[in-house]
Amino acid sequence: MTAAAGYAPAVETVAEVAAAHAREADETATFPTEALAAMRRTGLLGLLVPAAEGGAGGTLTDLVDVTLALGRVDMSVAMVFAMHCQQVAAITAYGGEKLRADVLPAVARGERYLGSVTTEAGKGGHLLTAESALAQDGEMLRIDRAAPIVTGGPYADAFLITTRAPDAGSAARVDLVYAARDQVEVEVTGGWRPLGMRATHSVPMRLRGAVPQWQVIGEHGAFREIATTVFAPLAHVGWAAAWIGAAAGAYARVLRHARSEAGRRQFAPSSELVLLRLAGIRTRLDAAHALLRHTVSVVDDAADMSATPVQLLLNTLKIRAGEESFAAAHELVELTGLRHGYLTDSPLALERTFRDLRSASLNYADDRLRLANGALSLRDPGVRLA
Amino acid sequence: MNTEFTELLRPFLKFAGTDEITEESRLRDLGLDSMREIELLFAIEDTFGVSVPDDKLVDSTFATAGGLWGVVEDLRTPVGGGSR
Repeated sequence: MTAAAGYAPAVETVAEVAAAHAREADETATFPTEALAAMRRTGLLGLLVPAAEGGAGGTLTDLVDVTLALGRVDMSVAMVFAMHCQQVAAITAYGGEKLRADVLPAVARGERYLGSVTTEAGKGGHLLTAESALAQDGEMLRIDRAAPIVTGGPYADAFLITTRAPDAGSAARVDLVYAARDQVEVEVTGGWRPLGMRATHSVPMRLRGAVPQWQVIGEHGAFREIATTVFAPLAHVGWAAAWIGAAAGAYARVLRHARSEAGRRQFAPSSELVLLRLAGIRTRLDAAHALLRHTVSVVDDAADMSATPVQLLLNTLKIRAGEESFAAAHELVELTGLRHGYLTDSPLALERTFRDLRSASLNYADDRLRLANGALSLRDPGVRLA
Repeated sequence: MNTEFTELLRPFLKFAGTDEITEESRLRDLGLDSMREIELLFAIEDTFGVSVPDDKLVDSTFATAGGLWGVVEDLRTPVGGGSR
């Protein structure tokens, strides 16, 4: 039995709370505060915190299991959870002893939800560059960072922020810095009116303040390595799980409806057209899910996360899981028709899932990943499939 | 590192300016990204008449100017020693 095996009741509780508030959070584009409170209360926020630091010692597989389950009821909640876990994993892998001791037990106690500040205006989505600098000010490092999109930013208890390193000769020398909420002045500089994933409440923010040297994660300039070994794999695996979970949840709602008395009258389960469509959607989900689980096993066993076949696979997972999940949601809308598939007050909530999943190709743009994969493919003429 | 090599590198390092490129120069800090990396590889292979094997096409090969030069040097030196 793994250290994380006891989290099942916590997941059930959080999923119930998330489901109860999903529609309202979507309509108002507000953060799922009730679901976050349930994650704090049940200890789920500490899923990836090592057991020695008071957490569940969860693995990447545990992260996938939980994110899939949350995605079934609310994709935004699943994304918020996965992105928090990504921050926890970065501190676990690269944080100094003092930072780990300060942050990880508090996360495990449910006291700290960690926000991520990596987007920046003017860098065109380049994760590995930073425009605003971290300035040395005596013993302290001064932060002044504007970010156009910070998921759940106003509700975060602390942030992991990318900035240009103090000694940087270029925008490509990037630090990852931890800042507690009381160390930075937080200004919300705009609103959040997206088409889908509305409950992620990803508003633009400006963060200003100062942190001591020991809050730099890894050494100065270490973000590139952290991105390769933690940020990118957990982002792509976590997002894929949220998206596949959302599509699977929608599919389950349609199947339950189709098997109900009212549904049987509408759907005619003996119709070959219905059966073929149902099979097609299931194929998409199985294929995306298999790719997700395979990628997790490759990440678990990888001696070098920067190896070309591993990077290619991670990018492919992100692209493909998003495509298949969105296509599945689209086909479910087609299958169920206007009333059940398109009206916003249908209990099947396909309209919301469809809007949510439309964001998948834009969350770190697929085109950027395809360009990277083109270059990576040329680096692997032997086509070593991971 | 010879001058031919450092001058070949320079256009790929948009943040290098006119600074000297040393063995310790960190190529990614100086602006080498994954898209340009493959163009740099082709330029090196054409200029030095080498073919970099797949197992050398890893991030660490492109970490520093000196490290990349080391890989090129090894490929230029026939097994058994002696340079061409």
